[in-house]
Amino acid sequence: MTHPSEIQLALMAGNDLSFWDRWRVRRHVSTCAVCSREVQALRTASEQVREVTGDLPQNLNWNQLAGEMSANIRLGLAAGEAIARFDKPSLTGHPRRLGWNAAMVVACATVVFGAAFWINLPRPQMDHLLSAFTRVRTERIGKLVQHPVTAAEDVMLSASSLSLDLSQNGRTLSLMHPRSDAVTVSASMRGSVSVRYVDADTGQVTTNKVYDAEQ
Amino acid sequence: MRSSKLFAALLCVSGAFAGVLPRIDLPKDSPVAVISSDYGESNETARGGAMLLDLHAALTLRNSSQRRIRGITFLVTAQDVTPGGKGSVTVTSLDVAPFETFPLHIDLRLLRPLPAMSGAPVQIGLDGVLFDDLSFYGTDKLGSRRTLTLSEFEARRDRKYFKSLVAEGGPERLRREILESMTHSLDRPTLDVQMVRGGRATNFEPEKQVQFAFLRLPDSPIDPMGGMARIAGNEARAPRLEVKNKSDRPIRYLEIGWILEDHGGRQFLAGSVPAELNLAPGQKSQILENATLKFPTRGGQPLTIDGMTGFVSSVEFADGTLWIPSRADLGTPQLQRVMAPSDEEQRLIQIYRKKGLQALIAELNKF
Repeated sequence: MTHPSEIQLALMAGNDLSFWDRWRVRRHVSTCAVCSREVQALRTASEQVREVTGDLPQNLNWNQLAGEMSANIRLGLAAGEAIARFDKPSLTGHPRRLGWNAAMVVACATVVFGAAFWINLPRPQMDHLLSAFTRVRTERIGKLVQHPVTAAEDVMLSASSLSLDLSQNGRTLSLMHPRSDAVTVSASMRGSVSVRYVDADTGQVTTNKVYDAEQ
Repeated sequence: MRSSKLFAALLCVSGAFAGVLPRIDLPKDSPVAVISSDYGESNETARGGAMLLDLHAALTLRNSSQRRIRGITFLVTAQDVTPGGKGSVTVTSLDVAPFETFPLHIDLRLLRPLPAMSGAPVQIGLDGVLFDDLSFYGTDKLGSRRTLTLSEFEARRDRKYFKSLVAEGGPERLRREILESMTHSLDRPTLDVQMVRGGRATNFEPEKQVQFAFLRLPDSPIDPMGGMARIAGNEARAPRLEVKNKSDRPIRYLEIGWILEDHGGRQFLAGSVPAELNLAPGQKSQILENATLKFPTRGGQPLTIDGMTGFVSSVEFADGTLWIPSRADLGTPQLQRVMAPSDEEQRLIQIYRKKGLQALIAELNKF
């Protein structure tokens, strides 16, 4: 059994844990006598401290305290007025677009939250989430098959009744075939073109093909 | 191999065409061996600031395995000329017994800038060999296993069909079918094609999205549900298709044939959209390809693409078994107009042309 840390127990005793952690630690404490004693001891100590600090000091001068508080309040109001004057929009300029600023802040916060959530999400949960998204997508529009393009952009394949050419940067590799009625030209969208013919000498059915990339 | 080396030595001695010879690399345990090679009219000539290499290789190969060879694919590369690509030469519908020899012709042309790099300009290697028991040998870098197996499946289907014609209607029925097939071959429109990856329309015509119509084959394990591509004049690009596995087995590969129709209603087979995927029974999938096909005109009216039709041309299940359209499927008028005969049908037609009906029946009876 793994016990919560002392800090977690202390936070639990002070009722300062987040909802999830509080539920988790409480669940452990309810079954663990050692931790339960520790939490109880911390709570007792906390109450003792509160009792000690709750007693007001002897010979407190209420008038002096009220004066100091009034002075602090006046100082705060004066500072607020000064800042308000500084921030007041000029009459000649464009009015501030608070809506856009707020939207920007919310967007940034969303990005930060999303990134933090993604980074901190444990691997199994991330896989589960991804597979759930994929399942939803597959049910709606099916799986997506797209082959990575590994060919150079400048490669051109061409097939005619005379030859089959692979051209790149002014260089050409051509596979030749005899002129024949039975030549079949074909192209595959995976990156190849082919010509099939019957070799008149050997009677063999031969297919020449050129490819633009790794198959 | 010995004669190839001897020929190379002779060329070096004569000082002519020394840079022309390809390097043939076969693995030590290769089921085929090069018995002889003839580079007859090969030559290399200066063409402006470039060198033009014309290579005509006539190789004699021997089946050094214990099984009959049904198909073979050789990989052809010229890395210093086209580092981004490669070529292949495939021979299908073979029936080479153990220790028998068979020919292979490779005719290629290389245009490379000067100065030419030293060493063999072309490398030829073995990509795969398919045997009669459908076992395979090779590196399969080009997907030869699937290509050769599909061809062998088509060959078996077509031989069975032609044999059934003889059994039902005698030799004359077979003759009629072969003549019909030859007529369709001559009537079938063919076009030249150019392809670039990720290209955008270069035509002046405005680009538009055109929806696919689908030709549904009854037994097909794939249900094509929808699709579109971008069309501009004689260019078609970026097809997007949606398919559903309607079989009870998972599918790992499929190919959709792509028929284009021009302004005058003329149809032709433009190519195919293949997809490697993992499609469970009942599951849907979208297929995207970012390539552009262009159909240059050989004189006459320029082509204007007006419509498209797709059909499932082959499927490979996860257990390695294949589905191909039946002869009845291929007999539908739309497919009959555009589909070329299979490799085996082409070979059988060639036998009929050269040797006649009896030779064709004898050939069918071998299997």
